[in-house]
Amino acid sequence: MVAPDPGTIEGLRASYERGEGLVGFRSACGFVTATWGLVCPACGARDLERTPLSGRGRLVAFTVQTVPADEFLNEAPYAYVLVALDEGGRISGWIAGTPPEGALALGDRVRWVPGYKTGVQFEREPAP
Amino acid sequence: MRETWVVGAATNRFGRMAETGREAAARVALAAIDRAGIDPKRIGYTFVANCFGVAERQAHVGPLINTALGIPDVPSCAIESACSSSSAALHEAWVHVAGGFADAALVVGAERLSHLDTLAATSYFAMGADYPFETRNGATFPGLYAAIASAHRAAYGTRPEELGAVAVKNHANGARNPNAHFQKPITLDTYLASPVIASPLRLFDCCPFSDGAAALVVAAREAVPRPAAEPLVIRASVRTGSVADLHDRASLTSLPATVRAGRLAFERAGVRPPAIDFAELHDCFTIAELVALEDLGFYPAGAAGRATVEGETALDGRLPVNPSGGLKAKGHPISATGAAQVVEVFEQFNGTAGRRAVPRAELALTHNVGATGGSCSVHIFGRR
Repeated sequence: MVAPDPGTIEGLRASYERGEGLVGFRSACGFVTATWGLVCPACGARDLERTPLSGRGRLVAFTVQTVPADEFLNEAPYAYVLVALDEGGRISGWIAGTPPEGALALGDRVRWVPGYKTGVQFEREPAP
Repeated sequence: MRETWVVGAATNRFGRMAETGREAAARVALAAIDRAGIDPKRIGYTFVANCFGVAERQAHVGPLINTALGIPDVPSCAIESACSSSSAALHEAWVHVAGGFADAALVVGAERLSHLDTLAATSYFAMGADYPFETRNGATFPGLYAAIASAHRAAYGTRPEELGAVAVKNHANGARNPNAHFQKPITLDTYLASPVIASPLRLFDCCPFSDGAAALVVAAREAVPRPAAEPLVIRASVRTGSVADLHDRASLTSLPATVRAGRLAFERAGVRPPAIDFAELHDCFTIAELVALEDLGFYPAGAAGRATVEGETALDGRLPVNPSGGLKAKGHPISATGAAQVVEVFEQFNGTAGRRAVPRAELALTHNVGATGGSCSVHIFGRR
């Protein structure tokens, strides 16, 4: 079976960096990922369904980095976060302007911030 | 498969090298060959690790090293597996020798990044992660392991003092190793006072950028009837892989590649974790040593921190871990690290480990991880 084309990595990044949307891939086994690939790493299925991701989810791991990655030189300190998305799957992203202590907790609700900055930027959802 | 030994091993002083990776690789390789007491012409293949050789504007370094060693006709190739490159090279050497394709093989790993500024060096390191999906979404290497630490703390209540105990122990061991990058002990107070780099990890949770080189000579037992030094019998040589990106893994508190490599290595060696007398584990960050101790089955999940605080993994403990000082204090020249772990086993088995000797060691394990566990090597060594 020929896999549907997942597009290019730069295309996926351009989509979220232009604020057009987060794109994921859903496999028959239920595995969801936002990482580029041709075959499901969990079950080997090739018919990965390209699916929009809401960008809403909760923090499953995070760190506040005082030493930044090279495209984030003007952002430190900021949080590098791993987000479990509501529709399944996880994604790497970041949260701007985070002090080293106390601003975030595991389980916090976060949402994607469409914007012009590099990478997948999130923000903490305000309490309901 | 043929019984295969490590018959020679050498490293240089880790830290800052004046010479290039190429020069250092050739020097340690010749030292390892001399320690093995074999004619270099008996080497059938050279496996080189030099991930960031391009930072010195040099690729295809294998033939240059072989030429410098007077064996230009010997085939060579470079093996790249990020921080586990030279243990991957050892595995390839083992495959060749155990499989009968060569009677002896040379493994050499070298890295030099100290001529770059910290930002440039960090950028090279970051190429070992998923550059578009991790690094360009904000992750640094300390950040990725810090994310693991945050999940580990949430699951098991891992305390700063437990991470600190790893740093204090490995610096204490490094202070006894004349080839270590850092040879100065630190206290828990020093650790706790060090700045946060990527919460919860502090400066003293992180291994340094180091230059360094290490080499091994691997040979079939039948090819070395009278070894010049006490050989290491390779009881298991295992390589594994796992889903590369941290965010795509089901568990963040464990590295699946380590779990599988450990299980396979113990099975192939026919031993269980309590039989190991000491281990060199991949402690690029303190949390990595705790996770490795748990993933390899030395401790239940969440129990390694307390055991470390209680001194069980100290030089005089039940299971000495990283007698060399580990990546944390001995240093972490990316491509030399995996081979250097085996050099430590060689020194221990030959009684040349000086003030960091582990008495009566018969069985040792080395564990070397590529990036956050996309690749992993576990080796188990015994005596003949």
